[in-house]
Amino acid sequence: MAAALALPGVVPAGAAAQSIPDEGRVELRYLDYRDWQSGADRMRVKSPSFHVMKPFAGTWIAEGGLVYDGMSGASPRFHNTLSGASGEGVRDYRTAGDVKLTRYFDRYAVGVGAAVSSERDYLSRAVSVDFRWWTDDRNTTLAFGFAGSSDRIDPVNEVVVGRKRHTLDFLVGVTQAVNANAILQSNLTVSRGHGYYDDPYKSLDTRPDHRRVVAWLTRWNQSIPAADATLRLAFRVLRDSFGSTSFMTEAQWVQTLPAGFTVTPGLRYLTQSAADFYRDPPFPTGFRPGEPYSADTRLSAFGAFTPSLKIAKSFERGWTADLRVDFHRQRGSWRLGGDGSPGVEPFSARWIQGGVSKSF
Amino acid sequence: MRPVASLALLLAVATLASCAWAPPRPWEKGELAKPAMQFDADRLESRIQEHVYQSKEAASGGYGVGGGGCGCN
Repeated sequence: MAAALALPGVVPAGAAAQSIPDEGRVELRYLDYRDWQSGADRMRVKSPSFHVMKPFAGTWIAEGGLVYDGMSGASPRFHNTLSGASGEGVRDYRTAGDVKLTRYFDRYAVGVGAAVSSERDYLSRAVSVDFRWWTDDRNTTLAFGFAGSSDRIDPVNEVVVGRKRHTLDFLVGVTQAVNANAILQSNLTVSRGHGYYDDPYKSLDTRPDHRRVVAWLTRWNQSIPAADATLRLAFRVLRDSFGSTSFMTEAQWVQTLPAGFTVTPGLRYLTQSAADFYRDPPFPTGFRPGEPYSADTRLSAFGAFTPSLKIAKSFERGWTADLRVDFHRQRGSWRLGGDGSPGVEPFSARWIQGGVSKSF
Repeated sequence: MRPVASLALLLAVATLASCAWAPPRPWEKGELAKPAMQFDADRLESRIQEHVYQSKEAASGGYGVGGGGCGCN
């Protein structure tokens, strides 16, 4: 359950995706992730992944991906039953795959997808349908998505066996070409789930058995021809029925350089309030039998900055290569508009990913 | 979602869009077709970013649906 890599999603396409691509694309990527607290290494994840997309028969696109995560280390401090401190370090792996088929029509496209993810103690299966419709001038695209997933949890410590979680996700979004140099996308997603949400590896962790997450994400890409660059902005407001509200903003500057290079510095900031049932250290302060309780620091109130840098190069015959580094740091005192949760140690992470792709 | 923040965001987006509103004609879309102007053009990179954040923060959403679950959060 400590897996830390991605599953596919129904991602609303940009304005350029209203017609079927001319070429297929295959990509290989490798991620090296690690995090730490106060000089002590926590989790380490090494993850190769693969994705291929191929148009066929004039109106269809088939795509699919595979990912493998290998992880080791220990989860963030406090009350973990699997941790380096307890002598039971986390060592796990995850394999996941997805497929998607999309049919393009003159003014709309319909896609169906399926995904599966398997860990030693967690199995997830999902299906999805998405529909995109665009205006005659192709400046406006509306996207609708629906997905359902069914998860089964069998923790290795056997505190529970065969517990289930079911989730339904909905998306409505609009992508608008604002002018010749700007494009806007705004998505509203609603996720409703029920079932087992406790963390079986955290002592006394008891969470509500229903959850609803509403997120509103807006992105703006602005081309700046005079500088041969693109400014990419994103802002998200998110409300979780667990009680947490978060605001995220991100900016990237994509600078084109000679010889096919691009360099992209970026900065992301997130601020979140704590879940209603989160309790600050020392553990188990605030625990009351029969009531929801968690000391999971991800549910605490904090702010986080993530600067990043990506360098990419395009080669002849459709080859591209890139390298990206992200450095992430969380602190309670960085929460916007008020103090964060006290007593939580700052948390740091860095991840490096390198990718190679080929159009064909 | 806090109504004041949501309303402020809606107003900001609407103001920005209306100030710049001049939908392009077909021959004016050269800049929009550039790779850097696409949303989620690099699927694997986007997925990695979203999922790392999902495993570090209280909740996630907004980018898409249908990924299914994992044990990371």
